[in-house]
Amino acid sequence: MTIISEVRRGNFLGVVERSWRQSGYEIKSVNTSRKFPAIYAQSEDGFGVSLTIGGGGQAFFEIDSPCVEESDVADPRTPSNGPDYSGGPIPRPDVYDDFWSFGGGLSASVVGVS
Amino acid sequence: MNGSGRGGGGGVRGGGWNGGGRGGRGGWSGALTWTQLRELKCSELEGAADGWGRVSNRADAARDRIDKQLLAALQATQEGEAVEAAGARLGELSRGFQYVYMECGLVRTTLNSLAQELREAQRRLRAALDDADGLKFTVHADGSVSYPAAGEQLVTQDKLPGGTTEGSPLPRLLSPPPALTAPNPHAAKAQEIADAIACAVGEANGIDARYTATLLKLTAPRDGLLTSDAIWADAHGDATVVRGLADEYLKDSIPTDRSPAERKAWWDGLTRERREEYLAVYPDEIGNLDGIPAEVRDAANRDNLALLIGKLEGRVGDEGAQTRLAGLRAIDEQLRSGGHPPMFLLGLGEQGNGRAIVSYGNPDTARNVSVYVPGLGTALDEEFARNDLKRARDTAVGAQKYDESTAAVVWLGYDAPQMPDYESLKGNVAVMGTGRAEQAAPNYNSFMSGLMATNQHADAHVTAIGHSYGSRTVGAAAQQEGGIPGVDDIILVGSPGVGVDRAADLGVERDHVFVGAAENDPVTKLPSKRQSALAAVGLYVAGPPGAYLGGEVGDVGDDDLWFGKDPASQSFGARRFVVDDGPRPVLDGEGATPAHSNYFNPVRDAESADNIGLIVSGNSGEITTERLR
Repeated sequence: MTIISEVRRGNFLGVVERSWRQSGYEIKSVNTSRKFPAIYAQSEDGFGVSLTIGGGGQAFFEIDSPCVEESDVADPRTPSNGPDYSGGPIPRPDVYDDFWSFGGGLSASVVGVS
Repeated sequence: MNGSGRGGGGGVRGGGWNGGGRGGRGGWSGALTWTQLRELKCSELEGAADGWGRVSNRADAARDRIDKQLLAALQATQEGEAVEAAGARLGELSRGFQYVYMECGLVRTTLNSLAQELREAQRRLRAALDDADGLKFTVHADGSVSYPAAGEQLVTQDKLPGGTTEGSPLPRLLSPPPALTAPNPHAAKAQEIADAIACAVGEANGIDARYTATLLKLTAPRDGLLTSDAIWADAHGDATVVRGLADEYLKDSIPTDRSPAERKAWWDGLTRERREEYLAVYPDEIGNLDGIPAEVRDAANRDNLALLIGKLEGRVGDEGAQTRLAGLRAIDEQLRSGGHPPMFLLGLGEQGNGRAIVSYGNPDTARNVSVYVPGLGTALDEEFARNDLKRARDTAVGAQKYDESTAAVVWLGYDAPQMPDYESLKGNVAVMGTGRAEQAAPNYNSFMSGLMATNQHADAHVTAIGHSYGSRTVGAAAQQEGGIPGVDDIILVGSPGVGVDRAADLGVERDHVFVGAAENDPVTKLPSKRQSALAAVGLYVAGPPGAYLGGEVGDVGDDDLWFGKDPASQSFGARRFVVDDGPRPVLDGEGATPAHSNYFNPVRDAESADNIGLIVSGNSGEITTERLR
């Protein structure tokens, strides 16, 4: 997973926030912590989406659906295009990227967590 | 337990006590004689016990290997019907090994306990024989004692003749009739020795009979035990029988009346063999003893869980037992399914509404530990196993986002008040009294103190979390002398008040009390008792929404709640973190109090869950806060 340096973290959250606004998401709340910033938003059809920065600069995208009747859901058929950490501990980021990792310091990565 | 002893490293027959020349028949063909008791090698019984212990340990290791390697590897790499079928069979095999582990452990302790009791009888016999020897008395095969001539007759000055006396194990109620002539001075002493011998032998025979009966009970039906219900019912019965014998041998020394730190020292000082015996015979005692390391408690409680399930399965028609049973089964299922973070079963019991303490993550190795007290309506049932365990798991996963070294515990170590039914409403209007919280407080603090004793970090960061009535329990615990042991942060969510009027009275540093109160959570707005008795009736009749509505009538913006000052109020002085308003009671179609249940849920209220995760992981400076009421 990609290391996102401290100096790039603002860019990262900014890019995501702009994209969400363009998609019509309502930004419900922002955590402006330097260490663990986060954005919480909601789509027009009631999906909750959030981006939080955790320990080691780990980034978490989390998406939840509006209320539905509980039912069996088939596992996704599309294979993961990266390591699949579902159901286990998520390691801290470890891949250097010339742009996102530039400047060292705190790091982060992108991982999809449902 | 199958009595054939196949594969056992000894067994009764291998011990010395049955080899005393009593014909070729198995078991007792006659009473134990004093010569047999004198020559008995108790260490051989203990050697046999060790053999059973080794079998027990091997079965335990086999079970571990199936659960942690075979099953885990299968489920991680394979899919389909074949793997499900294999998984079911392996599960059965694993339970079989667990049964062998438990039963062999029981045989081991029975033999050790037998050796200890016989050794005491033997010691007293040998002391009596030594006395006889010193006095040149002769002890005959039947236990009678002969003594030589001594003393002299008053008239003839002749030596008094010797004689023989028979012992009796019964206390002598009548003193011998006064003799006209002085008796041989040896006579009384010989009688004493003969009695001591008879007493020791009689006792050994009693011990023998009791242990023979017990060992015979540790057998399984000839056809084996086919269903898991039958297995655990049998194991539970066997454990109860062995306890009856081993209480003196083992139980008396469990330091229940000592501090958790002293108990840990006690446990650390035990030999490996002795620890295994405690785990085999008293899994419930060890599993619930604060101060015992988490991994040990977990192992003990998992065994006790199987036994409890077996016991409750027998109580068909007992509604309470069946409710408990459903909860235990749901917990058992989760324990067996593995997953991350790993589960630790730290407490379990069937008393009252049931007890269960579960940790996600090892609370002894984690740097951050939170202990959540559930509230109103909680009992050991399926709902608890589903919802309250999930809250602890959500807390662990949420906090591990920020610091991987985190464990989160759900502590149902008390009888929380239940939602009243109509019958109890008529009889008793004090549903939400402080009694349950006050009773729970010392137990909660004992648990926390145990955590402090077993956690391996000198500066562990500990958070107490109270939800609903559980926040009142945390409040009561904080009011005990010395406060909550080791606690750094306190989180109160969905609180109807905590019993103190200021955050400063909860015994943690300034700015370390946190409140989550959803706008649409009526429990955080329960009016004070003083304000509206009408609302109390509302609580009974319609649940909290009724109280909510009733309270709205009587409560005009006051900051007093059911149990004192509103923790989310300005005057209370806590930090209020951002939570979602949540769905409105009833109106939003999600039931009576939907907003009361979302604080921990990363799906229903992501920001609240993150804030709890930040606090629990020791990053409370990074939370989002909102205006106090």
